[in-house]
Amino acid sequence: MTAMPSVDAAPAPAGAAPVGAVAARAIGLRKEFGRTVAVDGIDLDVPAGSVLGMLGPNGSGKTTLIRMLLGLSRPTAGTAELLGQPVPTGIDRALPHVGALVEGPGFHPFLSGRENLRRVATMEPLLGRGEIAHAVDVALKRVGLADAADRRYRGYSLGMKQRLGLAAVLLLPRRLVVLDEPTNGLDPAGTRDVRRIIAELHAAGTTVVVSSHLLAEVEATCTHVAVLQAGSLVAAGELRTLLAAGTTGLVIATPDVDLALRTLRSAGATAYRAERDSSEEQAVVVGDDGPPAPELIALLVRAGVAVHEARRSRTNLEELFARLTEEPA
Amino acid sequence: MTAAAVLPRVDTPRGVSVIRLLGAELRWVLRRPRTLVMLGVFALVPVLISIGVAVADSDGSNHGLIGAVAGNGLMLPVVAITVSLALLLPLAVAMAAADAIAGEAAQGTLRGLLLAPVGRLRLVGMKAFGVLVVAVLAVLALAVVGVVAGMVIVGRPEGQLVTLSGTTLGMGDALGRVTLVVAWTIGQLAAVGAVALAVSALTEHPSVVIAAVLGGLIVFGVLSAIPALEWLQPYLLTTGWTASADVLRDPMPTDGLVTSTLRALCYLAVGAGLTVFRMLRRDA
Repeated sequence: MTAMPSVDAAPAPAGAAPVGAVAARAIGLRKEFGRTVAVDGIDLDVPAGSVLGMLGPNGSGKTTLIRMLLGLSRPTAGTAELLGQPVPTGIDRALPHVGALVEGPGFHPFLSGRENLRRVATMEPLLGRGEIAHAVDVALKRVGLADAADRRYRGYSLGMKQRLGLAAVLLLPRRLVVLDEPTNGLDPAGTRDVRRIIAELHAAGTTVVVSSHLLAEVEATCTHVAVLQAGSLVAAGELRTLLAAGTTGLVIATPDVDLALRTLRSAGATAYRAERDSSEEQAVVVGDDGPPAPELIALLVRAGVAVHEARRSRTNLEELFARLTEEPA
Repeated sequence: MTAAAVLPRVDTPRGVSVIRLLGAELRWVLRRPRTLVMLGVFALVPVLISIGVAVADSDGSNHGLIGAVAGNGLMLPVVAITVSLALLLPLAVAMAAADAIAGEAAQGTLRGLLLAPVGRLRLVGMKAFGVLVVAVLAVLALAVVGVVAGMVIVGRPEGQLVTLSGTTLGMGDALGRVTLVVAWTIGQLAAVGAVALAVSALTEHPSVVIAAVLGGLIVFGVLSAIPALEWLQPYLLTTGWTASADVLRDPMPTDGLVTSTLRALCYLAVGAGLTVFRMLRRDA
């Protein structure tokens, strides 16, 4: 991450210069609504400069966790830090650098998109009076709303409302951007736009936290993931590492499945028939606990098995997610 | 990524200036169609009363306070304000307070304000200002249109105000009395607004605020009508609401005006305290 250009080259405040800084941190965060435990003691670090995808089934506590990190909701227990500031006491110092779209866009129906955005911009401490009009224009253009800017918000489609919510986040350069389900209601073009915006933010050194149920989106845009299940964090870390850890072994495509299985098992490897769609060729999967791959392939070839292809099986995020959230722990 | 790019500088501004905040709130209040409709309704009240009086005057059937307006135009603004204070003005203030916090919460815009960030204490100040603006504009609409309609439609005896006591006041004195009743009414409405804002801070449903204020007014009215509960009267905000007619007497009795203003201050303090207490803790 050291190669990332920083948003502004401000000198660090004295006494606060940890390497591998954390943009947001949850320490034992817990939230109860009556008897329901929405978030159950979550510890999470959002590394600075990362794009963290927050995943989880509906009701797993993603939004509640985000709301507590932003100081919108008081935790029942635990503490949070935002850009190094304690929440909620120091939050006024952190929030000017934070852009957030939480629980859908919120705007006034009787104002136009531009007027709504002006009102939001007026409240931004880092925007000078004279910069507001320009910042609003740029943000509207960036989300593709320039043509509809002067129509009343009341008449906006769901996708346009979502775009306006994004525009509010993009009014000024941020250090942290939090997007809660940003692709809700967006058409495929809108979804691509969101992906582009996240990539631009990432390139500018902004830390991004994005919650989504669209796993493909997360896999395409995120560097880190945090998976929530029933209010608990079941996995968190670099996307690459998590996916690599989910690797199940070697996949060998061959028409001679039975012979291959017998050969592999007699060599001390765990092997089983790969479950495949009927359209695909047959294959066997070999676990990592036996002999190394080159030896196994040599064995198979010597035994007369026709090896059409051998590759590392790569889990995608969808499989990982399913394994983490659907299997009983 | 170094910490410098992540941690905010110590001199990061924590919010925009108060002037900018109040300006934005003022724009928002005045751009809201319902505010404008409401002000239009208040401008109509004196006009309607004056037309009613003028029509009734021709067949000699004017009685009571409204009857006293006949041929005595400068009395119209005071009468219009007194009549509206019973229900219309508190309703307008309740509506403004409902939109101010509960409405913003329902719209999802309260989150935006808190995330900007507008500090929670400043948010209360900004919202109280917005409600007060609506109260002031509503009373001013009644007063200004009242004075104009009074002089144009009702007419006045030689530019003077004939008081309920039978004496006459000059134009300057009469306008002074109108100004006094405007200020007193704004004080009473500020009390209503503070309580309404406290309710607004408690709920996400704007209609709850309006229902609470109207319900409260009705309950107060019922309580004050029960003889056995006479000891309760000094504590009811509505008890002093007939004091506005006192400015139409000569010499002017000040007891009622002062007592009701002090009572309003108590309601204001309690309402403001509750609003702040709740907003510092509210989940948004």
